[in-house]
Amino acid sequence: MNTPVEFMDEDFKKRAGVKGKALYIGLFRKFILLTLICSLLPLLIVGWGINIHYTNFAKSRMVNAFQLMVDYHRKIIEQFLSERTSKLRLIANTHTKDDLKEAFNLNHIFKMINRDHGAIVDLGIIDETGRHLAYIGPYDLMSRNYSQTLWFKEVMEKDIYISDMFMGFRSEPHFIIAVTRAEKGKKWILRATIDTDAFRSFVENVRIGKTGEVFLLNTKGEYQTSPRFSGRIMEKAPFHTGPIYEGTEIKFFNESPDGLKQSFPKQIVAQTWLKNPRWVLTVKQDYAEAFSDVNHANYATLIFLHLSAISILIVAVMIARYMISVIKKQDIESDQLNKQLMQAGKLASIGELSSGVAHEINNPLAIILTERQILLDLSDKTRIQDTEFKNQLTESMDQIDTQIHRCKHITQSLLRFSRRTRSVVEDVDLNSFIKEVIGLMEREARTGGIKFLSDLEDHLPSILSDPSQLQQVFLNLITNAIDAHDGKSYGSIRITTRFDEKNKGVKIVFADTGTGISEKGLEKIFDPFFTTKPVGKGTGLGLSISHSIINQLGGNIDVRSEVGVGTEFSLFLPLKPPPDLKEDMADD
Amino acid sequence: MIGSKILLVDDEVVFANNMSKLLAIRGYKVTSVNSGDSAINALEEEDFDVVVLDLKMNGMDGITTLKEIKKLGLFTETLILTGHGSIDTALEAIKIGAYDFLAKPCEIDDLIEKIEGAWEKKDEGEKKDIQEKIQKLVESPSAAFDLFPPKKRKT
Repeated sequence: MNTPVEFMDEDFKKRAGVKGKALYIGLFRKFILLTLICSLLPLLIVGWGINIHYTNFAKSRMVNAFQLMVDYHRKIIEQFLSERTSKLRLIANTHTKDDLKEAFNLNHIFKMINRDHGAIVDLGIIDETGRHLAYIGPYDLMSRNYSQTLWFKEVMEKDIYISDMFMGFRSEPHFIIAVTRAEKGKKWILRATIDTDAFRSFVENVRIGKTGEVFLLNTKGEYQTSPRFSGRIMEKAPFHTGPIYEGTEIKFFNESPDGLKQSFPKQIVAQTWLKNPRWVLTVKQDYAEAFSDVNHANYATLIFLHLSAISILIVAVMIARYMISVIKKQDIESDQLNKQLMQAGKLASIGELSSGVAHEINNPLAIILTERQILLDLSDKTRIQDTEFKNQLTESMDQIDTQIHRCKHITQSLLRFSRRTRSVVEDVDLNSFIKEVIGLMEREARTGGIKFLSDLEDHLPSILSDPSQLQQVFLNLITNAIDAHDGKSYGSIRITTRFDEKNKGVKIVFADTGTGISEKGLEKIFDPFFTTKPVGKGTGLGLSISHSIINQLGGNIDVRSEVGVGTEFSLFLPLKPPPDLKEDMADD
Repeated sequence: MIGSKILLVDDEVVFANNMSKLLAIRGYKVTSVNSGDSAINALEEEDFDVVVLDLKMNGMDGITTLKEIKKLGLFTETLILTGHGSIDTALEAIKIGAYDFLAKPCEIDDLIEKIEGAWEKKDEGEKKDIQEKIQKLVESPSAAFDLFPPKKRKT
């Protein structure tokens, strides 16, 4: 019977364990999920929202600044060119062709202009046929005829003309500003070559960070100044200049404009058209550099945000673990409580059942016993001649008697087990009480070669308890202790009493030198019907009853044992019984 | 003591009959009844030395019967015989005034031992009572009217 029960218990525990584990994991996940939804998600949403908003704001500010810078540079360039153009127009309009044809006059004007503004390399007067009338400058250009040149045609048509960069006769990149004046029905041209170096320097020398470059392009997309990295003056730029427009345009290039897809950093490009000449001022910078500050701030915020999120997550995990451990602990405690309740319930129902059974069996037993006695009485009176029959009758009668006593022993144990309430509580002097109990058992112990040793504390306070129940427990423990010496020719039972001031009670220890109890036996020692005694000798109820009695009296009972050395039962009894026991008394 | 009058009260008829037989064989004058009411009636009718009373009976139970018996104020001692084996109830019975108790099933010899004990107690009680009465009579003979009313009663 023991094996299947044990198996079921183990199986049940295992299943409960697995279920419990899954339950805790589920609970843990729910907890984490809740924390994430309640704290992490809002944090991330707000954080990301602020971050995106701030990034857009900062970028638009950066773009504006970029645009302003481009506008500023365009204005400077335009001012430079318009100043020189108006100077030339003033000279042309205030001097006659004849005045200026004079080398001296022209040289004087050339010097005056350069003294005030500089940046003019040469000055020339050209007639309507394209011939030089006068020339002041470092080159020998007097013999040149410009009638077939593009600039000559343009200026004759437009009256004011600023050329693109061209090589011309002098074979180096330069550009000219030319104005016309009509005199006596004939046009003549005042032409100035701009100091390319001076002009280029104030475009090319603008330094924007490490990757920034500033350059001018004409309508055909040729560099009018040398860019810092991407080409040289008069080379074709990899940009499509597109249609001419007013204002400034900002573009972002994700890939190389020439279509080559080698590692090309994203770039920000700002372009604005000059009014005259139609050149486009281009400022270009690597996107990463232009927005490095914003990006840094961005990264910092994001790192901070995610660190916060991670720390919240870690804290959430820790809290969840802690909570789960607390819940687990509580579950274990309530589990133990449940087990105790179940044990109590089990004992109670066994008690009820056994009481009924015992009574029902005792009456028939009593009848059988009287019938046996009647038969015995009669057989004594009757002369039985068959000795074999007589012997068998005697033997059977003895056996009936033995078996009836066996049954009686069982039913009495059962009844004792079922006896629970109706405690008679009075003052008990445990020391003298124990001496009495020893006195009761001494003869039985002595026949087994067992000595009683008592170590009783002097001035032990008396306790309020039920003496008859205590007697039952003590007798039971001593009987067990004596029985434990089965097979040993001598031994001892030591009974110790001690006052436990801290817990307000008395501690009583019954220690024997018997055979001891195995670990497996210890687990079940207080279970009803568990016995190590041979069949017919023990019912397995004694310790179970003792356990329930001591519990009922508000105390507890503990056992320690070592096989071959002995067993020690420690009892604790409170000075006063629990209130519910007193209620029982009141009921009585 | 041989010849003692015993009233056996048990609702288990077979047991009561058997026990009567056994006690009769051993020289006792036994009357057996099967309920508390019959027991009270019998005691009112007749004198008994010892009542052997079962605790758990249908109708009037043992404790109530015992209380009723005590109300009669007899010298008769009551021995409790219980199949229920409940020491608590037995102790309660002793508190009420039972001589002793015995758990069923019991040996006839044990029962006789207890019956003898009860008889002695009853006898002692009676003797003591008579002595007291004699003493009183010696002191004041007129007390005889009080001491010996028509029916034998304890004071």
